[in-house]
Amino acid sequence: MSTESDIQGQYRGTRSELFNLAFVTSLLTLVTLGIYRFWAKTRIRKYIWSSVSGDGDAFEYTGTGMEKFLGFLVAIVVLAIYLGVIQMVLFFFGISFVAEPTSQAEVIMMIAAIYINLFALFPLIFYAAYRARRYKMARTRWRGVRFGMEQGAWGFALRACGYTLLTIVSLGLLAPLANFKLEKYMADRSWYGDAKFEQGGKWTKLYAAMLHVFIGIALLIVGIVIAQASVFLGMVLVIVGYGWLIVGSIYYRVHAMRYMAANRTLGDEVTFTATPRTGELIKILFLGSLIIIGITFGIAIVGSLVFGGLFAVGSEALMIVAGVLGAILYIAFLVMISALSLVFIVQPMLSHFVTELTVHNKDGLNTISQRAAETGVDAEGFADALDVGGAF
Amino acid sequence: MQEAAGSYFDGLSAAKHKVVVRLDEATGYLTFEGESLKAVQHWRLEDLRLLADQPGGGWLTFTRYTEHEDETLSHEARLSVRDGAMNARLREIAPRLKKRDVHRGTGMRVVKTLAAAIAAVCLMLFVILPAMADTLARMMPREREVQFGRAVIAQVKWFVRRGHGDVAVCEAPDGLAALKQMEVRLTAEMNMEYELDIQVFDHPMVNAFAAPGGQIVIMRGLLDDATSADAVAGVLAHEIGHVENRDATRGALRAAGSAGLISMVFGDFSGGALAVVLAEQMLETSYTREAEAKADDYALEALKKAEVSGEGLATFFDYVLGLESELPGALETPAYLRSHPPSLERANKARSFAGTQGATTSVLSDADWSALQSICD
Repeated sequence: MSTESDIQGQYRGTRSELFNLAFVTSLLTLVTLGIYRFWAKTRIRKYIWSSVSGDGDAFEYTGTGMEKFLGFLVAIVVLAIYLGVIQMVLFFFGISFVAEPTSQAEVIMMIAAIYINLFALFPLIFYAAYRARRYKMARTRWRGVRFGMEQGAWGFALRACGYTLLTIVSLGLLAPLANFKLEKYMADRSWYGDAKFEQGGKWTKLYAAMLHVFIGIALLIVGIVIAQASVFLGMVLVIVGYGWLIVGSIYYRVHAMRYMAANRTLGDEVTFTATPRTGELIKILFLGSLIIIGITFGIAIVGSLVFGGLFAVGSEALMIVAGVLGAILYIAFLVMISALSLVFIVQPMLSHFVTELTVHNKDGLNTISQRAAETGVDAEGFADALDVGGAF
Repeated sequence: MQEAAGSYFDGLSAAKHKVVVRLDEATGYLTFEGESLKAVQHWRLEDLRLLADQPGGGWLTFTRYTEHEDETLSHEARLSVRDGAMNARLREIAPRLKKRDVHRGTGMRVVKTLAAAIAAVCLMLFVILPAMADTLARMMPREREVQFGRAVIAQVKWFVRRGHGDVAVCEAPDGLAALKQMEVRLTAEMNMEYELDIQVFDHPMVNAFAAPGGQIVIMRGLLDDATSADAVAGVLAHEIGHVENRDATRGALRAAGSAGLISMVFGDFSGGALAVVLAEQMLETSYTREAEAKADDYALEALKKAEVSGEGLATFFDYVLGLESELPGALETPAYLRSHPPSLERANKARSFAGTQGATTSVLSDADWSALQSICD
């Protein structure tokens, strides 16, 4: 259905380039006791962003490691104070002051104090997730024009807390509502240049994508019931149901993504079609894991053979050298594994998502003009401090 | 003049301009023009910047340096050149292609923010978290604390076991009676908050420790090597001090709290993990240093009230000091990395305390002392 006025997403990143970049930056992170991680993440993003292109024009990531580092430091100050203040407030009201609870009320207050401490972090995590996305949008450009996202992190955190609570209370039945509303909240605040994204559609339509999740759950329940009569049959059903549920949840996310993309518009005329496939993603996940396990075992076996041999013949001096070398290689090995998962799982998946995205009515893009630079973004320091977000 | 095809984005709109790029090496300019462009563009070669970490092969995207307020310090316009020969030539002759421009005043900002972050983290680690741990340790219900203590002791049992099988708990009746007698003598005059549960492990290590919830373990090695019953009483009083100060519980809570903060600072990565372990180690031992001194004070107080001489404890410290200097090699561990304050200092303190004491009597009779020493037989 591709026509003259369509743009098909393209991905041109290669395994070797990304592996080298990930390996070197991870090693630098290790050597600098973690400080380089802000620059490492930035460089990997720059590579991945510039590997994505549409209509022959590459995306660009303009974030810098320095601003990420500074954002992180600010977040540390705020978080330390935030957590400290919450402690102090609780302390002040005597909630945690009870040395030995003597009444029911005191016990409840004590428990409340512990839970307030725990849940104080939850809104912050959602807040951080929104800020992180906003930062990434503000630092993304295509054809020289900035993307952007409006402020609204607290609104998002509030809604996310509410919808998550609803999802938990409904035992997951209302998950589509939460997914749809939160995604819409973010999409409706997103911009490309002076053109605004708009998310249409209805959350109830996402239930079609839940089909296989429900089948998996049904199989699990039937299996557990049957297990009372026939343990073997019950076990088989439970295992099948479990597998079905896992594949079903990937299916759900894929098809939710398709639906959301089909109902999204940019400006007045630009529309989207996304066609990622569950089977392809599972294949990537499966093959990628297999390759990583294979490489890991291969290196481990060769390494132990070589070092075993060295220790067998070796003089004392040789042993020391081998020991030091072994320690260095071991660290390099750890670093390599994280780079491998980026190369064999994350990048192929991303490539699949990008190449399965089509943008319609590309002429509508020509009239979009630049938006002003965003200076107030905190460079996702909170997300870094709270460790929200994935590999890059 | 070298020529190549490219795409130009003026930074004002998302419209694409197909251009022909010409490299004029003589004047040091890159010029380009296209049908949709109103005027010919001239970029100075020294202002030319290459976007960092692009995939190689295919085309490259360039930008132009200006004093810009945004994060990049470059103009919003972009030029993509898809000609390999042109890109190779540009890499050769453009002088500042890979320069990373930084805003003025960045250094100062880094210093200021870094100072604020370090101050906040230190405040948290050394003021707020200890205060919290204090409160929480006091809040913890006694049964849970005792349960927690049992788990700790089980872990220590596993940790010090040699070969196979757990470490045996010594239970000779006469020995237990002597131990009880010592406990009563030491605690009778003190205002005790915890009910003590003292055990002896059949293990050669010269050591004793307090676990949360009033549980104390003495290793057989301590009974073997102690010069007198008074020395054991001194060590026991020290451990009772740990119990009454809730040091073990507090230490555990404090470590739990700071672990979160420290791993937040260092990040969750192989490089971070190493640093976290080191930092926690240092923190943990610095807690114990302070706690040890307090437990010593408690011990001397208890000895005073029980009218047991501090001399025994001083002799025991001398003995530990002897062990320390016998350690092989000159691998002197830095004082702050050690979990116990220097023994010489502690020995002197105990000895000068002993000098101030009035009449004292030995904590156990000779017969009871030998019964205690053979508690594991």
